[in-house]
Amino acid sequence: MKKTFCKVLALVMCLAMISACFVGCGGKNDDVIVIGLTGPLTGAASIYGIAVKNSAQLAVDEINAAGGLNGIQFKLDMRDDQHNAENVANLYTGLMEDGMQVSLGTVTTKPGLEFKNLSKEDNVFFLTPSATGDAIPEFANGYQMCFADSNQGTAAAKFFNENYVGKKVGIFFKADDEYSTGINNNFKAALADSFKADLKEASFTGDASTFDSQIQTLKDCEIVFMPIYYTPASQFMTQANNIDNSITTYYGCDGFDGIDAIEGFDISKVPQEISMLSHFNSTATEGPAADFIKKYNDKYDEAKEPLNQFGAAAYDCVYAIYEALKIAVENGKEVDGKTSASDMCEILKEVFNSDTFVFRGITGKCTATEKSTISWSNDGTVVKEAIKYIVKEKNA
Amino acid sequence: MKKILNSNIKNYAALILLAVLTVVFAVLSLCGALKTSTAYLLEEIAIKIILALSLSLVVGFLGELSLGHAGFMCVGAYLGGKTAALLVNPLGNGLLTLAVALVVGGICAGLCGFLIGLPALRLRGDYLAITTLAFGEIVRTLFQNTSEQSFGGPIGLATPRFEKSFFYVICFAMAAITLFVIQNLIRSKHGRAIKAIRDNEIAAKATGINVTRYKLIGFVLSAVFAGIAGVLYSYTKFNVSSQTFDYNYSIEILVIVVLGGMGSINGSIISAVLITFLNRELANVLTGNLAVLKDLIYALILIAIVIYTNAPALKNFREKYSIEGFKKRRKEKEQNG
Amino acid sequence: MEFLITLVNGLSLGGIYAMIALGYTMVYGIAKMLNFAHGDIIMVGGYTVLLFLSVNPIVAIIASMIFCMLVGIVVEKFAYKPLRGASPLAVLITAIGVSFLLQSISQMIFGSAPKFIVIADLGILKIGELAIGYSTIITLACSVIVMIALSVFVKFSKTGRAMVAVSEDKGAAQLMGINVNSIITITFAIGSALAALASVFFLLKAPTMTPSFGSLPGIKAFTAAVIGGIGSIPGAMLGGLLLGIIECFAQAVPAISPYTDAIEFSILIVLLLVKPSGLLGKMRREKV
Repeated sequence: MKKTFCKVLALVMCLAMISACFVGCGGKNDDVIVIGLTGPLTGAASIYGIAVKNSAQLAVDEINAAGGLNGIQFKLDMRDDQHNAENVANLYTGLMEDGMQVSLGTVTTKPGLEFKNLSKEDNVFFLTPSATGDAIPEFANGYQMCFADSNQGTAAAKFFNENYVGKKVGIFFKADDEYSTGINNNFKAALADSFKADLKEASFTGDASTFDSQIQTLKDCEIVFMPIYYTPASQFMTQANNIDNSITTYYGCDGFDGIDAIEGFDISKVPQEISMLSHFNSTATEGPAADFIKKYNDKYDEAKEPLNQFGAAAYDCVYAIYEALKIAVENGKEVDGKTSASDMCEILKEVFNSDTFVFRGITGKCTATEKSTISWSNDGTVVKEAIKYIVKEKNA
Repeated sequence: MKKILNSNIKNYAALILLAVLTVVFAVLSLCGALKTSTAYLLEEIAIKIILALSLSLVVGFLGELSLGHAGFMCVGAYLGGKTAALLVNPLGNGLLTLAVALVVGGICAGLCGFLIGLPALRLRGDYLAITTLAFGEIVRTLFQNTSEQSFGGPIGLATPRFEKSFFYVICFAMAAITLFVIQNLIRSKHGRAIKAIRDNEIAAKATGINVTRYKLIGFVLSAVFAGIAGVLYSYTKFNVSSQTFDYNYSIEILVIVVLGGMGSINGSIISAVLITFLNRELANVLTGNLAVLKDLIYALILIAIVIYTNAPALKNFREKYSIEGFKKRRKEKEQNG
Repeated sequence: MEFLITLVNGLSLGGIYAMIALGYTMVYGIAKMLNFAHGDIIMVGGYTVLLFLSVNPIVAIIASMIFCMLVGIVVEKFAYKPLRGASPLAVLITAIGVSFLLQSISQMIFGSAPKFIVIADLGILKIGELAIGYSTIITLACSVIVMIALSVFVKFSKTGRAMVAVSEDKGAAQLMGINVNSIITITFAIGSALAALASVFFLLKAPTMTPSFGSLPGIKAFTAAVIGGIGSIPGAMLGGLLLGIIECFAQAVPAISPYTDAIEFSILIVLLLVKPSGLLGKMRREKV
């Protein structure tokens, strides 16, 4: 019996090794430029990954339908990292072996911290739509389409210092989330001293969804700053309705986007004003942003796979890479499906770092007719105008 | 003499195989023949083997249900990883740093194993299970709330990454060492005492076995190796996050041990290899829209395997269609003519 | 005053935990298995309520209870029943498998986007400075009623007494002419119906659903059931309330709020060290 076990063991080991060695050995189509990324397609964070996947695919399809890059088509290859950094190394190598030439990085920050190190070794260019961590563009090959956490925190604090003088401020954040604590720390550092004497803080961890105690702590504040994602925020707002409070405004960052699109959530039941600092106007009714929203909703089921700013940023990412490659080709560079990731990275870096490269996209401040202007500083962070828009006015 | 040698080879077949594999991998690594993705897979498999072996000591041989194995791993990954991060500058990112980190991580996790072993002396079955689960969650929460300078807080701890084209060899060597230690323990006098406690604690006590001592030995040793696995894990990542080590991770290891068969060392190794491989392949094959199918397929396979291997009603069916059953019938056939 | 408000908050959260823990403890007491999929039955209940909500809230709740009962029976029949008599660990692993299965099925049907659900707008009762939501009162009242009803059912009805017999000794119960299989099936049906009811109260308080929203209350209720002494019906109630109160008091202090989970679990460990079978659990003497 022991012998059988050993034989099976040996067989399995060999099989595992051999088949693993041969995975992805199939030939790559030379006329296709492969854009790879990882993001949560299953699990609690999958709403972000799915929006990114759909939007990026939308952009790729549009580009391909319009003839691609001088006839060279693009292909999107997205893998499911379940918002878990542990999966990234395997997925990344899988992508590389399947011919990834340029990347959108990861959808969320924590897997992104792994991704940036891996891609640095192979010198793969990545432009992440939504991994906001400050450390993401640390190396020369990493770029962000979204605002970094520190920028969001500082920008929000600046807004508070200018507009909410003398008001009581409270903060509600997620203590075990790098996005939330990152913004919160920068926000507090940049907040004027006049707020600090009366500053109230409450936090939660994990998937908690009952916030009675935290509401109790914050109920005397006038403005509550919430650097969290919209699901817990909507819970907080609903539950706060059951408690006497003097809150007049909820102020969030880009994680708030989508709060007015939660299926079944009647935002008018929240009496307070809901505002946010964002880079995509998801309620746009005209202009380039609105066109994109319409295209997305025509193609995908709004209820099951809703659009959010993650998706909009991904759409811009694909186009930004496309535009940059187009400029490179115009400048005499050769780009096709055979270009190595490292060569591609050098080509793209040169374009992205040049002072003249300005990308016109749907995130940032668009007007009714014009797309926004987006450029990148040499450290990989994005330069575009943030939008502060009121999701919902205070009830009369 | 030949017979004794033969039985020895049989007894240590898995160990010999792992040792040979380590050497083979070392040669392959020197030639640079393996793809990076294979190297990653092998790292992961070796770490899962260590985890499964160490958990099987507690679950399979001591007979106590533990749902907090990821907690020990977390201790090893954070403390060992921090040690390595501190030592990388003075000592360089080499074997010496790794060795120190492994010792520190192993010892710290062992101390935690001792702490969790104490209630194990008093608690039974499912009560112990929830205590270990609670321990794992406490460890995770504590590391999550550390300051950014100490252990990185919610962002996680930045740890050094070993040369990836060689690290899987070290992982396999550690797996072989783990197997050697645990197998020898199980086959020694102490191992028989541990199994006696599993089968009937009162009877074991009556025959003069020091139950307290052996339970603690089991928990501490299991924790030490989980800690070592944690250190190795931290070396395979640039950034270790305590969120990884939640109770779902403990359950993942438990699934490996149970599917491998309780108290079967070879079974644990086989199922560690298979499940890691399956998970990886499913993740690679089911991309995009199909990703949601991954959990579904995994769940169905899990349920099917457990029912197939454990259901009392399927006993005859199993005997008929298993490898052993097939061999037995062949033997009978040969004997009959 | 602050103290009183936090206490009321704790009770309202504890009532929900208690309700889930009652189902947990029933199943554990009789089937002797840790049903890791119990939290996901809560999730199934929540989505069923959503489907029928347009008809009428009461209809939706009843439909959800019936549907969860069916799911409980089906799961028991196909995943747990074949393993009766096998090692308890094998059942634990299938329960984990069922948990994955239910989550991925609901993600395929409903998508992973959160869904907000307003079952009923019940309003607030104000006593001086103290504001208590009517949902809190109903939750507490319901969990007490369920606890009493379960206790009476177990003590006085024929099926209930058969349940006690099965939980004491399966073999002996069978010899006495009790159909052990159908008793266990009934237990799963009751446990799952309670999970559906609990999902309603949970959603009244925290009205967002995702395919994985059941796991957190599930694991909390498991903890509550153990604190109270797993298998004991009043114990589940006590454990649930206690856990809710501890959670709310921990969250009320900003400095220790991030450590809430660690505090809850530490209390659990310390309590188990002092009372190894929970607050109201029965200590079984081992016989040689």
